[in-house]
Amino acid sequence: MARPGRAEPDAFPIRLDGGAALRVAAAFVAALAVWFAFATPYEKTLAAAAQVAIRAFERPAATRLDAVGGEIRVDRSDFPPDSARPGLPAADLHFNFALLAALFALPPHPLRQANFGRFWLAAVLLWAVHVLALVFQVESVYATRLGPWSAEHYGAVARNFWAAGFHFYQILGRFAAPFVLWWGVGRVGQKPAGK
Amino acid sequence: MKSDKAGTKPGAGANRRSAAFLVRFVALLVAFYAIVASHPVNDAVIVPFTSGIARVSAAILNVLGEKVTVQGTEIRSSRFAVAIENGCNGVETALLFGAAVLAFPAPWKRRLLGLLLGSVAIQVINLVRVVSLFLVGVHWPAMFGTSHTILWQSIVVLCGVLLFLLWAARETRAQQRVAVEESDRGASRPR
Repeated sequence: MARPGRAEPDAFPIRLDGGAALRVAAAFVAALAVWFAFATPYEKTLAAAAQVAIRAFERPAATRLDAVGGEIRVDRSDFPPDSARPGLPAADLHFNFALLAALFALPPHPLRQANFGRFWLAAVLLWAVHVLALVFQVESVYATRLGPWSAEHYGAVARNFWAAGFHFYQILGRFAAPFVLWWGVGRVGQKPAGK
Repeated sequence: MKSDKAGTKPGAGANRRSAAFLVRFVALLVAFYAIVASHPVNDAVIVPFTSGIARVSAAILNVLGEKVTVQGTEIRSSRFAVAIENGCNGVETALLFGAAVLAFPAPWKRRLLGLLLGSVAIQVINLVRVVSLFLVGVHWPAMFGTSHTILWQSIVVLCGVLLFLLWAARETRAQQRVAVEESDRGASRPR
């Protein structure tokens, strides 16, 4: 058994050298290119999934989300027809995909089937994180930014829950998520580095 | 491969320790968030710290010939102005790094040393980010949005994660050396 405050030999299987740095940089650039190319269709999947999740708990189901021009447009069937629709910046939600791809490039052979499979699993989990973050973002808009309507439909606890949840994602969660997914999914099965 | 206990699947112990690290990491992140998101801490610590970053960045920009002035957390020249806000001051990356280092099993003295050196390195990287973003804003304003939101945020966080991985790898190797030396001493002791 390990003594308290001591790492065990298998605790850290990653070796960081020049090759790893190059792989990380290359994967980061490649992932950014993919991200730029597919951001709009990706945002449509996020909007559709978050809409289903929000409407599942709404009575009546009134929310409609659309990905338009780098924004998630929030609409509700009970909004006055001539009122402005909130637009939420979408890139902030999901640019952390590039971080995830960069971390999965750390092993010496990142394109091996096992590593690639784990990367896709982590990417799917990251998509779920993005959907959840979008749900929190929309609910925090409902809870805090719609004046009397917010006050009427959300109590103090609900306001703080949704607003703090999304704020946590903005400040720390979006950067921590790729690291947590890589640590939890990507390092499995890697052999210890070093002698 | 090794097994912790008889009958335990090989690697299960490592997976358990890995999961324990993640639990500690996330718990620390939530605790750090609760601290820095509170208004008193933000007003008494984060805002003055961010003003300090603005002053140092402005000094560097002036050395580079940009002729800037500082007001609070805002850096201004005749051609461009930028306000350094939460998320641009390197604090979030330092918190991620700090949570990871504190969650990693290592002697406290070495954790604190890692925390100190890593935080300094992150702030140096963040200064490069602020200065370069200002220069991008002056010379290539159309690229400022993408550089600010996506590129530099990702780069600073990635550097923070890599710094942690570097520290953790060195720490693990150092502990392995100590364990081997202790084991050698034990073996050579007369019975």
